[in-house]
Amino acid sequence: MKRFKGIALVAIAVLMGAVYLLPAAPASAQSSASLSIAPKKNYVIEPGKSIDDKLTIRNLDRTQTLELSLRVVDFTFTDNGGTPKLFLDENAPQTTWSLKPFTSIPKKVSIEPGATKTVDMSVTIPANQGAGSYYSAIVYGTGASEGGNVGLSASGVTLVFTTIPGQVKENLTLKKFGMYDPTARGDLKGYKFISEKEPTVIGYTLENTGNVAESPVGSITIKDIFGRERTIDNVNPAGSLALIGQTRTYQACIKLASQNEGFEGTTAAGSACTSSGLWPGYYRTTLDLFYGQNGNLTKEIAGKGSFWYLPWWFVITFLVLLAAVVIAVWRAYVIVRGKISGARSRKSLRRRR
Amino acid sequence: MTGMNHRLLRFHAATFIRWRHLWTPELVALLFALFVFVAPTSASTRLEDRSLFMQNNSPGSTTSYTVSFRYMTPVPVNSVDMLFCISPIPYEACVTPPGLDASNVVLSDQTGETGFSIASKSANHIVLSRPSGGFTASQLSSYKFDNMKNPTNVNQSFSIRLRTHSTLDASGPQVDFGSVKGQVTEGVNIETQVPPMLMFCVAQQVEENCESTNETYYTNMGQMETDSTLVARSQMSVGTNASGGFAIISVGTPLAAGTSVIDNIPTPTESTPGKDQFGINLVANTAPAIGSNPEGDWANATPTADYGIPDQYKYVSGDVIAESPNVSLMKKFTISYIVNASPSLRAGVYSTTITYIASGRF
Repeated sequence: MKRFKGIALVAIAVLMGAVYLLPAAPASAQSSASLSIAPKKNYVIEPGKSIDDKLTIRNLDRTQTLELSLRVVDFTFTDNGGTPKLFLDENAPQTTWSLKPFTSIPKKVSIEPGATKTVDMSVTIPANQGAGSYYSAIVYGTGASEGGNVGLSASGVTLVFTTIPGQVKENLTLKKFGMYDPTARGDLKGYKFISEKEPTVIGYTLENTGNVAESPVGSITIKDIFGRERTIDNVNPAGSLALIGQTRTYQACIKLASQNEGFEGTTAAGSACTSSGLWPGYYRTTLDLFYGQNGNLTKEIAGKGSFWYLPWWFVITFLVLLAAVVIAVWRAYVIVRGKISGARSRKSLRRRR
Repeated sequence: MTGMNHRLLRFHAATFIRWRHLWTPELVALLFALFVFVAPTSASTRLEDRSLFMQNNSPGSTTSYTVSFRYMTPVPVNSVDMLFCISPIPYEACVTPPGLDASNVVLSDQTGETGFSIASKSANHIVLSRPSGGFTASQLSSYKFDNMKNPTNVNQSFSIRLRTHSTLDASGPQVDFGSVKGQVTEGVNIETQVPPMLMFCVAQQVEENCESTNETYYTNMGQMETDSTLVARSQMSVGTNASGGFAIISVGTPLAAGTSVIDNIPTPTESTPGKDQFGINLVANTAPAIGSNPEGDWANATPTADYGIPDQYKYVSGDVIAESPNVSLMKKFTISYIVNASPSLRAGVYSTTITYIASGRF
């Protein structure tokens, strides 16, 4: 009995010691904040049917367990670009395109260090649901830290898009088209008619007033004053969407540079706009776009535009050459006039004699 | 001058007075009408109400396609040319959508202008032909093809370029033309394709590949003084192979102690000791000396404009602080925090939690 008491006292002492020491290292109790998820999911689901899928989540941290809480939130667009605006407030009103009521996911997931876990998700569409695009986002939160003035927390988001097939309302309107400054990041102020910098991007802005997210395809033709053409044959290489109600600016590189790099044991193909090689001058542009959902009409959008590429070196060279030509012509005129008047005066002198 | 007037009068007399019985308003109107009505029929017009219905649009599956359109030009059509290409633009070179195969299709149904059969077919080309064409109606015509094999690339749409001809073999000048667009969409479990990934980590210090951090998720900034700026920093690393790129949003209230809140900086502003300020940025600064520029090879992943100005700080909850418009492998950002306090700020322990949310783009 005495021996048992001794063991119990030692155990209690060790436990108390551990409890006392734990606050000195609060970070070890914290979940990992390193994760890998799928950024986007796309489904086509007929009314009355459902789809079962897996969400693959990886804990990138090799020492800490990843504790995640999952929830579904609605989102819309932030601006003219492709960044989602998440409605994170628990009491945020449900959007008309929400997938929240149709989506089932687990609320908590725990993943060992360096491990990958797949969790079940399903989307069930009611039989009376109308055709169109529905979308929401799955937020994976790592939880808040404790202590300090500034606590850090990481969350990942998977955007989930579902198309319910059928007759939908599709309407894209071209709002603007022309040379675009990519630093404007979707803003309409990025359109330029005259640029002293070499143009690298042609932009087009579409307003979506339909009930379905659209991903247009098509081409842009750029023609110089000598009639030489250059074609951008894929104006939406990323398959970017104009969400319901969004006015979206798409940017198409005049010349695309591709880059392939290893990524997680695979090859990722990146691309970026590179020097277009355009000469200074005046250019006309034409846009041909196509859009339309499966089983719906394929619609077309056509647009025309123009721009000047006038770098300072070209303007200065042109003005210098122009000035040289004007001076040369003027001097020639003066010389010729002098010779003519000299000849006349000599003639008149001869006549007088 | 008199001679000039004389010549004009003679020209007027020759062109107007002598031929005035011909230049009647009726004749002029007739000529205009001819321009309006005759010219368009000599050119090809677009087939209207074009659509493609794919019975099953999962990649690589064998299914049926229904191509519908309305013939527009009232002339006999004896053949229809259907060319499957990535681009819908008729004058561009045709690139066959990867995986698509139309070589085994069967014309199983037709409505509207009927009587067609498949005259020739290949992996990306079908020619329909009928022996005696007419033009009966302007109703919608549709043609259903079975045994059609879908393309495999879910990231790229494809098109069918349509042309109608009066000839039997789709040769010679076209009558009408147009394109329909289709797209295969992601199946639930695609084992053959590398799925897009979004990798993200946050801590006081992180490795660029997110495999390790210093496991610290908070920072103590010390004692606030009205004549100095408190600073802190944290790091995050992010990368994606998704073609849409990524965006990082910061969410959280400014530093607060109970109901007393240090004002966030709503627009990029310099740090001013003695004034209530809470702000962040993602670049190297000299006033105060804190932070560093983003690290990593991928130039397209950058801080957004307002959070990328040295010595200018801002904090608005919900703002996008960094983004990439397309594929961007791992890139590390250092976030600098500054806090300034006014003499009137109530004493207390001020704290907040900032959540950094990494999201794909659409």
